[in-house]
Amino acid sequence: MDKKKPTYKQALTELESIVAKIENENPDVDELTGLVNRAVELVKYCKSKLKKTEEQLNKSLEELE
Amino acid sequence: MNTITLSELNGIILECLDRNLNPSYWVIAEISELRVNQKGHCYLELIEKQDDEVLAKSRATIWSYAYRNLSLWFEAATGQPLQTGMKILANVTVGFHQVYGLSLNIRDIDASFTIGERARKRLEIMKKLEEEGVAGMNKEIPLPLVPQNIAVISAPTAAGYQDFTDQLDKNIHNYDFRVRLFPALMQGKEAESSIVNALHAIFKSQEHFDIVVMIRGGGASADLDCFDSYRVASHVAQFPIPVITGIGHERDETLVDWVANTRLKTPTAAAEFLISGLKQFEDSLDENLEEINGMASEIISGELMNIDNYSRDLKHLATRLISETGGEFHLLKSRLGHVSKNRVNQMITRTIHAGKLLQKIVQGRLVLEHETFRRIGENLKLMDKSAILKRGFTITRKNGKLIRDPASTEPGEEIQTEFYKGTMKSIVKK
Repeated sequence: MDKKKPTYKQALTELESIVAKIENENPDVDELTGLVNRAVELVKYCKSKLKKTEEQLNKSLEELE
Repeated sequence: MNTITLSELNGIILECLDRNLNPSYWVIAEISELRVNQKGHCYLELIEKQDDEVLAKSRATIWSYAYRNLSLWFEAATGQPLQTGMKILANVTVGFHQVYGLSLNIRDIDASFTIGERARKRLEIMKKLEEEGVAGMNKEIPLPLVPQNIAVISAPTAAGYQDFTDQLDKNIHNYDFRVRLFPALMQGKEAESSIVNALHAIFKSQEHFDIVVMIRGGGASADLDCFDSYRVASHVAQFPIPVITGIGHERDETLVDWVANTRLKTPTAAAEFLISGLKQFEDSLDENLEEINGMASEIISGELMNIDNYSRDLKHLATRLISETGGEFHLLKSRLGHVSKNRVNQMITRTIHAGKLLQKIVQGRLVLEHETFRRIGENLKLMDKSAILKRGFTITRKNGKLIRDPASTEPGEEIQTEFYKGTMKSIVKK
């Protein structure tokens, strides 16, 4: 399975599991850093998939003109 | 034979009808044909069917002045124009024309019958779909988490479609929707097949789409028959991807609305629905991230506080320990001092005693030994001396002291000489 490109569902599930982990497992500061970084990575990835790229935006703006 | 002409016969028939018929009748019939000529007169064929068998058939007319009003009013009431296939309750007069034969003239139509009829048919199909077990299938499919890839069934020229795509294109959140149109006729006789074909096309590439949207702009002539068709409803119900409708009518639900996963009122509402779907997902991302950050901050500041507390406690403890230990130490020291001094003294005393005792013992022994050695020595000396004296030597002494050097004497001093056999006193002459 391509871990680099999760589906939206996989990403959200992983994100929620990170929340649960931090809440229930009391990770130490090192582990915490890793988890937070992964969470940010997941959110950034999803958002970039959700939204139009700069490129597309510019194209639409051009079309308006 | 009593012969009459045809026109005479028709006259008799006409008279008979006039005499025996009511002025008008409310008749239930199905429209099997309908056309309107340029003058505005409406010519219909009415039939009665049982299953597929035609039990009765008759021509009918609606004169233009009546048709104008009736058709408008009927469409307003039912949402559809008078059309073939429709079952109506009409108020008719029976007309017999000498040349054209029997014909009915429609003066009024009870729209509520048609509505009821329509509703009845719809209910019938609903039951059928339920019995087949398919009615709830599309509803059971969970809506996609992110409805981003959209298959649209609509007429490309329809205003509804334009509005829909515009809205998705220009959404304020800048979401990237990927929309593909599967064009279809959304009204008229061909609509049913057209829509089903579109569904088939989408089915063939279903893995590319998250959701199907069926939209149509509203409009004065809202011909919704295709959406009440068993065929269309059945296909939508069993479709493997969630289907949402935005067919743009305020009236009661059509069958397609009923079996679709989600019903929206208009294409605009459908677009809004999709956008809010993505927004909801984005929000849940943000919420989770916020929670993570919040908890992480708490943990870290908690750790920092702990560290502070620890170091403070440690300082206190250390200070206390030092002062306590210091005090204890002093105590210990003095205690130790006392204790050790005593012990040491004790030990010293004991050691001294032991030493003295030992000394005594040794001395005692030594004394004993000394005596013995002395005696042995003396004996030895004696023995030696005897041997020497016996040979004729003498031992000279001055004042008891042995002298070996004549220079150690002065003339006139007394010396003693020891012989083997005794001693002799002499005076030194030089």
